[in-house]
Amino acid sequence: MQEEEEFIQQLLNAKTQNEAFQKLLLTYQKPLYSHIRNIILNHDDTDDVLQNTFIKVFQNLKNFKGESKLFSWMYRIATNEALSFLSQKAKKGGVSSETLQNKTIDNLKSDSYFDGNEIQIKLQKAIVTLPEKQQLVFKMKYFEELKYEEISEILGTSVGALKTSYHHAVKKIEAFVTSN
Amino acid sequence: MKAFKLENEPKIESGFKTPEHYFENFSEKLMHKLPENEPKVISLFQKNKKIMMMVAAVLIIALLVPVFYTSTVNVNSKEIDTATLENYLSYQSNINQYDLINGLDTDEINNINATIALEDATIEDILVSNANLENLIIE
Repeated sequence: MQEEEEFIQQLLNAKTQNEAFQKLLLTYQKPLYSHIRNIILNHDDTDDVLQNTFIKVFQNLKNFKGESKLFSWMYRIATNEALSFLSQKAKKGGVSSETLQNKTIDNLKSDSYFDGNEIQIKLQKAIVTLPEKQQLVFKMKYFEELKYEEISEILGTSVGALKTSYHHAVKKIEAFVTSN
Repeated sequence: MKAFKLENEPKIESGFKTPEHYFENFSEKLMHKLPENEPKVISLFQKNKKIMMMVAAVLIIALLVPVFYTSTVNVNSKEIDTATLENYLSYQSNINQYDLINGLDTDEINNINATIALEDATIEDILVSNANLENLIIE
């Protein structure tokens, strides 16, 4: 914790800022990319949202109160950026988020940055049928392998509620894959 | 059909990939995109907002004072019309016509005579139409 406080001070200090931010980027760019990509599915859009996320992190570091961990604060920004990007894109296209996601999944086969088989595509299709919160919980637990405690800090939901959400999500996904 | 059980299956990966050297290029690209740490610009108005508001309030009050003052003075110094003055002098004061005449100098009396010079015919009309001739003569 003290190490994190020192690191935040380095990020805020004009002299050490660049070096510290580069360190932050190297540590978090891959996990945050995966997190955003799992929500958005498409590489180019993920690239845009990841850039916006880091720019927001940089701009708001001075407002970071240290009430939560830097890691969960950044994940929260990434989640909000990704979800608002999706809803804006759906709104522009005049479709629902679910329709937009289904369209993206249909295009996954021809996506050069997707290397998946039928079962992977079916799993994505099953996930889209879930409510937004269950989708998030499932992706963070199953694909990103985050701990319930970490997800709890990011989403502001109790561990118990997260376990219930994940359980429901798994049951629905299994039912979807079995019947499709 | 065999029921699909997620826990019985080997871990299904998301299948998402990134372009080659994406992350190496990403950090470099982002470092160039970061906004410069410019000193916060506070406009002169924002900085001295309170003082400027106070000065504005004082100016408004200063501008309004003459308006109020003038209107008050106008009410107080409203000219008393001639009829009111006459009524006052006739019924509510102890000044009689001799006091008034004594207060005037010769020129003023001549002026009054000149301005109220009446023709004989007019005087006759007044005397004929006025029943209180005796009172007027006595006076």
